[in-house]
Amino acid sequence: MGQLHQAISEVEENLSRLLGEVRSLRQYIDCLEDENAKLKRQLCAVSEADTARVQKNAARIQKEAHENLEKLYSEGFHVCHIYFGEPLEGSCLFCNAFLRKG
Amino acid sequence: MKILCKKENLLAGVNTVQRAVSPKNTLPILQGIKLKTDGENLWFEATDLEIGIRCKVPVNIQEGGQLVLPARLFSEITRKLPDSDLQIESIDHNVKLIYENSNFAINGFDPEEFPEITEISSTDIIEIPAAVFKNMIRQTIFACAVEETRPVFTGILLQIEKEDIYLVSTDTHRLAYSKAVIRGNDKEFKGIIPSKTMQEIYRLLDDNEILTIKFSPSKVIFHFGTVQILTRLIEGQFPSYKQVIPQSCTTKLFIHTRRFMDTVERASLLSKDNYLKTNTVRFQIEDALIQINQFSEMGKISEQIEIEQDGEDVAISFNAKYILDLLKVIDTEHIIMETSGSFSPCIFRPENDQNYLCLVLPLRN
Repeated sequence: MGQLHQAISEVEENLSRLLGEVRSLRQYIDCLEDENAKLKRQLCAVSEADTARVQKNAARIQKEAHENLEKLYSEGFHVCHIYFGEPLEGSCLFCNAFLRKG
Repeated sequence: MKILCKKENLLAGVNTVQRAVSPKNTLPILQGIKLKTDGENLWFEATDLEIGIRCKVPVNIQEGGQLVLPARLFSEITRKLPDSDLQIESIDHNVKLIYENSNFAINGFDPEEFPEITEISSTDIIEIPAAVFKNMIRQTIFACAVEETRPVFTGILLQIEKEDIYLVSTDTHRLAYSKAVIRGNDKEFKGIIPSKTMQEIYRLLDDNEILTIKFSPSKVIFHFGTVQILTRLIEGQFPSYKQVIPQSCTTKLFIHTRRFMDTVERASLLSKDNYLKTNTVRFQIEDALIQINQFSEMGKISEQIEIEQDGEDVAISFNAKYILDLLKVIDTEHIIMETSGSFSPCIFRPENDQNYLCLVLPLRN
């Protein structure tokens, strides 16, 4: 009977330890939820105009980058990942495919 | 070693393995051809450590053994021997060829130094009719790069995906793609085979044979008839070729292959001599006609070919050699040419055949 009592006591201890861990996890989750809500509020605070401006700017940069690559290719340099920056002899299927994709 | 044989037996073995000999290799033993007895056969072996070729020929073996002879001398003396019975005897590394009432002695190499052309232990094996594989090699090998600045382009990509087998080659200016079906296969493989190996397979393979391909991650072995070709794979990643092949076009042409080839050949006579030395031919495609107006200091050519045209008119320039190379491997009466303007890659394919295409990038002049 003594052994049974001891076993039950150990189970009680384990359960209380687990309960403690669950409580600390709950606190952590609460912190994360607060953080998430804060971030969402910040995201909503960005106006549509700002979003459009950022998107337009990104598109402009992308267009410029593509034009620069096209210029580099037309000036006789590879823009494909295989030979990037090396002098071009004639034309390159991989540069062509890369520029077409962009 | 002591064997009796005919000149033709020796010649068959030498001719088969000779191209694998490495005449400029720093290892002298690789300048040799190894002869090794096995039952009633004599094995011939040669390797440059990239490709190894073995073949066996039936001979009368009196005493077994192995020897390595300098390939060039052995090959030349074999060709010049009379068509009579021969006897080959070796003592240590020295070999005596005895014929009629004469003999020719050759100082050989130590056979123990000759690298072993070993079998690969893989169980990944496929079988394909020789005629099919030979045609795939013929249709792709011309597009391999010659310069070795990027080794991956000096070989042909061999890709096996279940029941489909592909060969793809490119030198970045053009790309050749060939596909065939292997019924019942469930194996997968992807590796770059050196073009020299493919040339040898093409040279030695008989149309009526069945080719067995056994592959491991670093080596591939090709078996056919009495020949085995072991090859190392070219290291590196073959670029993603599928993204290079256009999926649509704005102009589609149906052209008589022979007439087109003859015209390009004639035009290239002048394009070779033009001041740019680029061997350029320019096609003016309009109203169901291809017009070529080519001139140089040497002269002028003006030709037109009637075609079937579907889509926009276009003017497009190519390296004449690239066009001639691909037209030589297309066996159908007509070819289909698909393009999307003067600067986009142009697809050439045989009529009624979706398993082959050659992609050529126009010149930007």
